[in-house]
Amino acid sequence: MPEPQPLEPSSYVPGGTAELVPADAEILRTGPGGRGPRGPDTTAAPSVAAEERVRSLWSDAWHDLRRNPVFLVSALVILFLVLIALWPQLIAPGNPLDCDLAKAQQGPGPGHPFGFNGQGCDVYTRTVHGARTSVTVGVCATLGVAVLGSVLGGLAGFFGGVGDAILSRVTDVFFAIPVVLGGLVLLSVVTSSTVWPVIGFMVLLGWPQISRIARGSVITARQNDYVQAARALGASPMRILLRHIAPNAIAPVIVVATIALGTYIALEATLSYLGVGLKPPSVSWGIDISAASPYIRNAPHALLWPSGALAVTVLAFIMLGDAVRDALDPRLR
Amino acid sequence: MGPYVVRRLLQMVPVFAGATLLIFLMVNVMGDPVAGLCGERQCDPATAARLKQEFGLDQPVWQQYLTYMGNVFTGDFGTAFNGQKVTELMATSFPVTLRLTIVAILFEIAIGVTLGVAMGLRRGRPVDTGVLLVTLVVISVPTFVTGLLLQLLLGVEWGWIKPSVSWQAGFDELIVPGLVLASVSLAYVTRLTRTSIAENARADYVRTAVAKGLPRHRVIVRHLLRNSLIPVVTFIGADVGFLMGGAIVTERIFNIHGVGYQLYQGILRQSTQTVVGFVTVLVLVFLVANLLVDLLYAVLDPRIRYA
Amino acid sequence: MLLEVRDLHVEFRTRDGVARAVNGVSYGVDAGETLAVLGESGSGKSVTAQAIMGILDSPPGRITGGEILFQGRDLLRLKEEERRRIRGAEMAMIFQDALSALNPVLPVGDQLGEMFVVHRGMSRKDARAKAVELMDRVRIPGAAARVRDYPHQFSGGMRQRIMIAMALALEPALIIADEPTTALDVTVQAQVMDLLAELQRELTMGLVLITHDLGVVADVADRIAVMYAGRIVESAPVHDLYKAPAHPYTRGLLDSIPRLDHKGRELYAIKGLPPSLMHIPAGCAFHPRCTAARDLCRTDVPPLHEVTGERGSACHFWRECLDG
Repeated sequence: MPEPQPLEPSSYVPGGTAELVPADAEILRTGPGGRGPRGPDTTAAPSVAAEERVRSLWSDAWHDLRRNPVFLVSALVILFLVLIALWPQLIAPGNPLDCDLAKAQQGPGPGHPFGFNGQGCDVYTRTVHGARTSVTVGVCATLGVAVLGSVLGGLAGFFGGVGDAILSRVTDVFFAIPVVLGGLVLLSVVTSSTVWPVIGFMVLLGWPQISRIARGSVITARQNDYVQAARALGASPMRILLRHIAPNAIAPVIVVATIALGTYIALEATLSYLGVGLKPPSVSWGIDISAASPYIRNAPHALLWPSGALAVTVLAFIMLGDAVRDALDPRLR
Repeated sequence: MGPYVVRRLLQMVPVFAGATLLIFLMVNVMGDPVAGLCGERQCDPATAARLKQEFGLDQPVWQQYLTYMGNVFTGDFGTAFNGQKVTELMATSFPVTLRLTIVAILFEIAIGVTLGVAMGLRRGRPVDTGVLLVTLVVISVPTFVTGLLLQLLLGVEWGWIKPSVSWQAGFDELIVPGLVLASVSLAYVTRLTRTSIAENARADYVRTAVAKGLPRHRVIVRHLLRNSLIPVVTFIGADVGFLMGGAIVTERIFNIHGVGYQLYQGILRQSTQTVVGFVTVLVLVFLVANLLVDLLYAVLDPRIRYA
Repeated sequence: MLLEVRDLHVEFRTRDGVARAVNGVSYGVDAGETLAVLGESGSGKSVTAQAIMGILDSPPGRITGGEILFQGRDLLRLKEEERRRIRGAEMAMIFQDALSALNPVLPVGDQLGEMFVVHRGMSRKDARAKAVELMDRVRIPGAAARVRDYPHQFSGGMRQRIMIAMALALEPALIIADEPTTALDVTVQAQVMDLLAELQRELTMGLVLITHDLGVVADVADRIAVMYAGRIVESAPVHDLYKAPAHPYTRGLLDSIPRLDHKGRELYAIKGLPPSLMHIPAGCAFHPRCTAARDLCRTDVPPLHEVTGERGSACHFWRECLDG
């Protein structure tokens, strides 16, 4: 048991994923070995090669995931979402922009299982087609954030020094700005009805979250014995970073990114609800929920279906991330 | 602790400057800063030019920023779109949002912490798994959906509450909006408390407390809770800053005339002074809340010594 | 007998299967006597102690059989509230790592005084005075001034003294010390061990000393029980056992101590690894690692043979072992 390190107070990460951060940063420190009943003298062999550690971490995690019903259900939901995002016509052949004001607020009927919304559009068709926007925004924003954040955070954590200090201050600056507010300000001028401004905004304001995680887990991984050993053997810094640290440090990033994907989808809907995210004629759950809210009394179905689809989608990604984290972090069993 | 506070305050300066500059630039991108100044109508070019000069808007952005910040420190936040002083808007709206935030925080403590402790002590049982799933669902449903649904059910269908809050926005009217604002944090607090309790319950010092023959309630209250709630208290403290900045969605749903409402109006009417002013104060609240949380940490955990 | 454990069985049910941590352990301690329980990690020595104290993590741990007689009463038949009153007051435990075993956010004085508040109904003020007294007794310099300090403000040795003070607070009849010196520097180890032995003599307490350190055992123990894979493999007065072990495992342990007069020779090590508690080998659990194993060892679990009146060995061939 090491002496408790006085926590550097600014290392506390407030915000949506505060619960995840400390646990995630520790995933690799525990490793898959420390599983049995706790005991003082479980000495894991420190000489195990880095590759082997990583492989067993992932294969152990995969072994656990395959039997985890939460993982299976959320993975199935996501698979289904991706399918209808790619080919919505498979289950909803109609045109989501095909609206008839005469049918506005009508309830469910033959061929229109979810009824019509305030503009007389078919709720079922629009809900199915809305998946594409959400998945596109979620996936692209997450990819952008993950790449930018882990490269910046990883380099800062590995090399330290002035660059690290500057990056830490910059992330502090971004954390201090409320996200929805930033979105309102930045996106209120955008007139484009594509998803790209929204994605760009999310990458701009989202990368510090990942960069903090990546930085933390790189610093943790850097202190591992095998990294010290590789350094002592004269491996070049780049080789150490890519071959020894990155594979170990990537797990927390993946977990947080998976969960973030869900929150980006929710954020897109929130921004669209506030009128600054996507704009018609885009098809988005947020737009539909926003449009349905004035008719909440007469046509609640127009609100409930897109809301339900949104909630299930976000839930699926968050549960997936949660399951992956549990699998990668044997401590919490 | 004195030197530490000074150091932290100094560290806050660049963050504060950076965040406000960022917002300042964003707002500048946002649009025509004089657009709101002629009331609802578009300004004629001559007036616009005069106004621009008057407000120093013909100068480079960085100079405008410095001038603005200089004014802010003398308590001058400029003028909003309808000629009202921004400080006046703040005086009416910040108390409302503060009340809303207090209600939300109370919910986090009353429901989140209690539920988290109860589940942490029942870790792994079906009820624990169930609550965990519910928290995930709550986290997954965006606040605006939760808000609309609660408004639909409680306000429209069952008529328990008024669907929109009056301008006085008393505590009684803010119960449901406060719950909506708290919902996601509430779920996080529950999970955080549960995890913390469950982890600490297996700690050696808890086992020592049991081995000392202490009654169960004493083990839990005096030993387990005291340690487990440290991260929870700090999360809730930091959440004050987040909730005030995030109240915009809740305020819009329930038509609460708080900070979020004013900001939304400011953005709609492209009133730069309002937006920058409000965000500046929100950033300040956020930074101060975080500083207080760090100091609180040191009070709660004697192992942490700030030098 | 102050404490008598009879045929104790403990198992842990985990996701991966059932781990049989303790498989029929019997041992006893008299007042004023020191019993050393020796074994590698995973031999069940700590789990037995936790079962005696009633602080087993359950679930997953579960006592599946046996009796624990303390002052003539079977602890396993008592209600939890009755056991709680015994814990701390009549039997106390000293843990290995005082840093994690003490509550990090409470002053040590409160943690010591708590014993008097809870078990004796003292006021907080009186309890604090008692705490200072205790800290003096375990020779912590400046006790009165340090009673408000937190555990992390003490050195490792001082922390372990506080742990000892806490165990001795109510002058219990039995102390269980689980590797009390393992976490300490070598120089401090002796001081702490001497202090413990001295206080034990003064109060004529029974002491169960759990350790894997044969050096500590030789100095302070009266009897030794050697554990392997959840069983006692040898039990003997300390000098008899050191002179001539009656079990190949004990012999292996003794041979693996570095000795000055054997300088230059290769150090002996028992081959192989301790068995997994999920898959304890059939027959004698030690047979895969035993140099003298025969067919009988692979099939029949050896009972604890009586070697002399006060020693026993769970080896089919203990006679040969005793002869070397």
